[in-house]
Amino acid sequence: MADYKEAYLATRPKTLDPAEYFNLSPDYRRTEEERAALRSRLKRHYLVQLNNPHRKELIEDPALTRWTYARTSNIYPNFRPTPKTSLLGGLFGVVPLFVLYFVFKTDRDKREDKIKAGNYERPYKLSS
Amino acid sequence: MLKVLIPTIMLFPTIWLSSPKWLWTATTAHSLLIALVSLAWLKWTSETGWAASNMYLATDPLSTPLLVLTCWLLPLMILASQNHINPEPISRQRLYITLLASLQTFLIMAFGATEMIMFYIMFEATLIPTLIIITRWGNQTERLNAGTYFLFYTLAGSLPLLVALLLLQQSTGTLSMLILQYSQPLTLQSWGHKIWWAGCLIAFLVKMPLYGVHLWLPKAHVEAPVAGSMVLAAVLLKLGGYGMMRMMVMLDPLSKELAYPFIILALWGIIMTGSICLRQTDLKSLIAYSSVSHMGLVAGGILVQTPWGFTGAIILMIAHGLVSSALFCLANTAYERTHSRTMILARGLQMIFPLTAVWWFVANLANLALPPLPNLMGELMIITTMFNWSPWTITLTGTGTLITAGYSLYLFLMSQRGPAPSHIMGLSPFHTREHLLMVMHLVPVLLLITKPELMWGWCH
Repeated sequence: MADYKEAYLATRPKTLDPAEYFNLSPDYRRTEEERAALRSRLKRHYLVQLNNPHRKELIEDPALTRWTYARTSNIYPNFRPTPKTSLLGGLFGVVPLFVLYFVFKTDRDKREDKIKAGNYERPYKLSS
Repeated sequence: MLKVLIPTIMLFPTIWLSSPKWLWTATTAHSLLIALVSLAWLKWTSETGWAASNMYLATDPLSTPLLVLTCWLLPLMILASQNHINPEPISRQRLYITLLASLQTFLIMAFGATEMIMFYIMFEATLIPTLIIITRWGNQTERLNAGTYFLFYTLAGSLPLLVALLLLQQSTGTLSMLILQYSQPLTLQSWGHKIWWAGCLIAFLVKMPLYGVHLWLPKAHVEAPVAGSMVLAAVLLKLGGYGMMRMMVMLDPLSKELAYPFIILALWGIIMTGSICLRQTDLKSLIAYSSVSHMGLVAGGILVQTPWGFTGAIILMIAHGLVSSALFCLANTAYERTHSRTMILARGLQMIFPLTAVWWFVANLANLALPPLPNLMGELMIITTMFNWSPWTITLTGTGTLITAGYSLYLFLMSQRGPAPSHIMGLSPFHTREHLLMVMHLVPVLLLITKPELMWGWCH
């Protein structure tokens, strides 16, 4: 593997990067070992629960809990009126109401005027 | 009317005097008998506009379908709650069913009321058992917030209604619906009259709910236990629609101009809440927002004040009541097994529960208004009458129908298809009780295809 050459236009994968294995500082090694220990503890906890034959309930996934909490109950404390959010809110929440009012009002007023003038032809035979 | 009301009041002794072994069987059987007796109201024999009347209560073609729906729902609610209430002590179980029965009593009196004040009092009275059910038996801590939102939104909307009703009493001398329908049209011109008009309708628009004031609904529906969700979705929202239909008689001719903002809010709400449904992660929240979407269509249909609009509104209210309640029951079955409402968690259920997948399928098809189900008939009538009101509404209602189909299919595919998560164990098989519950929800919807005259209101 010492003579590994990447393919043309490809990048070297991280596992074959010599910087991953040589000249590592003790600090880096220690943090990586701690992270590996954490990961394996979590995985072991998950596998113990997964393979427990007496388990009847769901394995609780704290990441899923955090995700659903963030998506459902924690929205407003993290909302901040920025130009983008104000624009979006106005564009989808405020402007359509006025646009629709304008559209419906002019359309129905035109029809009302035609009815009052007596020359409204019903385009469709709708009972009501 | 008393044939049904007195047995409903007699549910209270049944609940408190049954032995613990027979409590659920006795109450389910009793409420089922009441439901079957209430079906007798569907036979319209009266020559006048009102039937089965005494001095304070009567039925008419508008309230009869809603009354039958209310009576039909009580045994279903009791069936659905059986599992999650079981661990609790007996007196608390009795209290829970008492709350459901008292809710039933108030609802029957509300739909059968002939005086607007009685309707108003019963309208408010239904808030109390629902609030207790949500805040005491809900499952998450957010239920307190949900109860607060629910209570205060509805109360804030209905206090102007009380003032408006008292003003109406003063100007017309009566608040009986039998008499008000024949009263002279009121001259309504000043700003005070316009505020009175708004005061009459705001309570019902908040209850329906209309898009701008709908915030209480997702919270209340999600945090309530299954019976609370069922009764909220199926009947309490329809109280708003029913109240609006009763009040609209009095509110001409101002309604021609003043209804515009509310029709626009209702129509835009269909699209907005439908789009929110597509982004939901919580199962019950999706069904709650779909309720807002359908009720937006109903509100639009009522506010344009045409016969087809009213008819479409009643049909859609009944059909949506049954189907939405069915969806909440299905969501509850998933919740009882996985104790989570997250949609991506309860996936791939078709392989595990094939028959339940049929119920999910039918309920979702009904939700997306598949012909020939009555959901479609109601929606079609409302869409047609709104098209007649102004042809431009078809852009909004059409897009709304498209989005409804989108999220209903999303709900079905997300919960039923795909690989089931490999770490979910202990999904107990479906009980007969749960299948029975779904059948009793969906069979009336299918039967109503054959005789929609029962729901048509005054187009008899």
